Amino acid sequence: MKKTAWLTSLCFLGLIFTGFLLLLFGEDRAFSEQENRALQTRPRFTLEGLLSGTVERQTEERYGDQLPGRDRLIGWKGLMEIALGKGENNGILLGKDGRLARGGGELLFANGERFFECDGYDPAHVANACAGIVRAHEALGDRFLAVLTGRNLDIAASAFAYPRAHGIGLEAQLNRELAEVPRAEVISSLRERFQMGEEVYYRTDHHWTTLGAYYAYREVMTRLGLEAEILPMETFRRVGAASSFRGSLWSAGGMRWVKPDSLELWLAGNESELTVTADGRPLPGLYAEEWLSRKDCYSVFLDGTHDIVTVEKKGEDRPRMLLLKDSFANSLAPFLAQHFDLVLLNLSSSRRDFTDLTRRVEEWDADYCLLVYTLENLLSTDKLSRLR
Amino acid sequence: MMAGGKSRVLPLARRIERRRHVVFSSPLFLYGFLPSTLAAYYLSPRKWRNAVLLLFSLIFYGWGEPICILLMLASILWAYLWGFPIVRLQKRSPRWARWAAVASVLGNLSVLIFFKYTNFFLQNLGLQGIEGLVLPIGISFYTFQILSYTVDLYRGEIPLQRDLISFGTYVTLFPQLVAGPIVRYCEIDGALRERRETVTQFASGVARFCCGLGKKILLGDALWAGYNALRQYAVIAPTTLGAWLTAILFTLHLYYDFSGYSDMAIGLGRMFGFSFPENFRYPYVAKSITEFWRRWHITLSSWFRQYVYIPLGGNRRGRWKQSRNLAIVWLLTGLWHGASWNFVLWGAYFCVILICEHFLLKDFLKHLPAAAARVYTLLLVVVSFAIFSSGTLAELVRSLRAMVGVGVLSFADETVVYRLTRLLPLLLISAVGATPLPLRLWNKTTEKRRAAELLLPVASAVVLVLCTAYLADDAFRPFAYLNF
Repeated sequence: MKKTAWLTSLCFLGLIFTGFLLLLFGEDRAFSEQENRALQTRPRFTLEGLLSGTVERQTEERYGDQLPGRDRLIGWKGLMEIALGKGENNGILLGKDGRLARGGGELLFANGERFFECDGYDPAHVANACAGIVRAHEALGDRFLAVLTGRNLDIAASAFAYPRAHGIGLEAQLNRELAEVPRAEVISSLRERFQMGEEVYYRTDHHWTTLGAYYAYREVMTRLGLEAEILPMETFRRVGAASSFRGSLWSAGGMRWVKPDSLELWLAGNESELTVTADGRPLPGLYAEEWLSRKDCYSVFLDGTHDIVTVEKKGEDRPRMLLLKDSFANSLAPFLAQHFDLVLLNLSSSRRDFTDLTRRVEEWDADYCLLVYTLENLLSTDKLSRLR
Repeated sequence: MMAGGKSRVLPLARRIERRRHVVFSSPLFLYGFLPSTLAAYYLSPRKWRNAVLLLFSLIFYGWGEPICILLMLASILWAYLWGFPIVRLQKRSPRWARWAAVASVLGNLSVLIFFKYTNFFLQNLGLQGIEGLVLPIGISFYTFQILSYTVDLYRGEIPLQRDLISFGTYVTLFPQLVAGPIVRYCEIDGALRERRETVTQFASGVARFCCGLGKKILLGDALWAGYNALRQYAVIAPTTLGAWLTAILFTLHLYYDFSGYSDMAIGLGRMFGFSFPENFRYPYVAKSITEFWRRWHITLSSWFRQYVYIPLGGNRRGRWKQSRNLAIVWLLTGLWHGASWNFVLWGAYFCVILICEHFLLKDFLKHLPAAAARVYTLLLVVVSFAIFSSGTLAELVRSLRAMVGVGVLSFADETVVYRLTRLLPLLLISAVGATPLPLRLWNKTTEKRRAAELLLPVASAVVLVLCTAYLADDAFRPFAYLNF
């Protein structure tokens, strides 16, 4: 009995004091590649910070962020959750073949309230968003085209046991309320392609793959009446740019055993003729290759998130397309750039407000206006309902 | 689909998350505060150990909210100083001794009432509440501990504590400071004056602490996540099954959260040589609500019995007086949990059931088969926690209506069934874990085999590591009972 008591006490003390010493004297990590976020490091101690509670908050966060073996521990937790039969961890579902998807997501309600990790959606909020799209169409006429993209669950539905009723209801409401608005119908077409075994969405990230983006490009061109100009797949040289792409769902899901994706760039060969700028500064091109060696490989397209990106072809007078968009448009843009000069305005920006769409179209003298937005953002923000 | 536009996002959680605090289930506590305190405590000479505990308890309490320390210290000083006249006057002038005790009690009670109930009263009178009036963490717990000292001292049941440090240590002792168990002074007076820490006691403290940590993090928090998802979903698509599942998840969550905390408190107490009273004894196996309250939050029920119910006459003066006494106790119990009508209603709900059980159902329940009696009790308990967890009266009515199939879209929809399927293993583990079965199994295993001696250290270490894994991947999630 005494031996057990000693062993129990020593094991416990050994563990907590090891953690204590490592946290006290160990070196802090400033960034977690796995989670793709900055970590809290040792806070600066000031009396003011102490009294305001800032030092305490940062210290608590540091102890969480700098736990020895944190990355491994997160993987163990993911394993435990799946072993418990939950089929998900941190709201990320594990589907067939290691495919990940966000289950219940963030929802904004028409009355302004916000739920996190909630199944379903608020039809009144969706109606408001649709009204914004209808307004934009009425103001811009035939120049306007909406591309509403799906969440992983909408496209790779067959890979998950998650109920489809709300997804079907949402699509039905969109079809009903946007019946008069020209739309490139990518959700159902990509879903069909997924069911045929094509990798149109990443397994570990919430974006479409380059193949998925190419199919979306074809839908857009068809809907714009430019079917004849569509570049066939064979035009592009498909380059396997990264074979260990672990996307946003992988980071959030903590299921570290899930195999990474590979990311392709489809090169037409004329990319060097394009001039690309981001927020007024020149970019080396459509692809920022330094991202390929980092975890967030998807940022290779147009260098990730910027408020305003422009793409022009030197010495050619081409029609101009304005894309009011979220990050899905970044991998669609290289295809569209074969035909149009592009202006991409980030509708999800927290710094700039681009909801005054008609003014932006006039300002940039755009011939076409594309709204590229995912259902995830439609349900969780009020940007679309504020379109004018 | 959306049945109504309105929604309420967990008012209880929102209130708790407004302030930060060191909680046992946090990396800062496990790998910062606890080792520092243990090292300082065991490296100090015996006579300084109470002072060390007092110092670390004040840091624990003041973390993130240092200003509240002053209020607690004032309450301690007030009760400590009134202790001297209470004892001195007892022999010479008992009437004045009573007044001294009343002054001490009123002083501390008024602080509790001011911080906890002022805005509730003002708002119910249609007046503007005081802005920025924050409820100091654990004020209900430490005020009740202080009151027990004063009353027991007045009754002559305990000796005067002349040492301010020891008295301060009793009130502020960090393991039980913010969420109980409510330790009466008489229960640890001896340990405060002299205690011997042993490795056997320390190890049993470690085991109990790890058990509580596992209950809180591995089960309580997981149940909370399930409850949270379904409660939100009920706003979008109310169903009968969803309403029951939500209530059951909350019922289990509260048990694992609160009893997990109590286990950790008791375990920590043992690590420092104290023996705290038990707070839970498998409440969900009770065969009546009367028995349930002998098993749930035992230290609070004993406190009310000792200091309110018995002094009012208890059950000795006839049915009417006993009913009146029960009504007073349950009104206060409800209000103790929070300044909100749902807590008052919750207290009234139990009061009515207890009166019925005392006077009408006693024999009936006695002859009921055990399984039926347990189902009867659990049904009433689940409904009680639906009342307890409701943020508003409207939400309460909506939940209760949904439970009986009124105002719902259907009995169940595929989302609720999906959630139920996913939560089934957790629900089964939690349900079995709330019975004495696991402990019996553990005792049987460890009694018979010698190798089982290794089970305790291994199990404790595994639980600690697993909980750390959950903490590494989780945001700050405080205990539900910190708010009371």
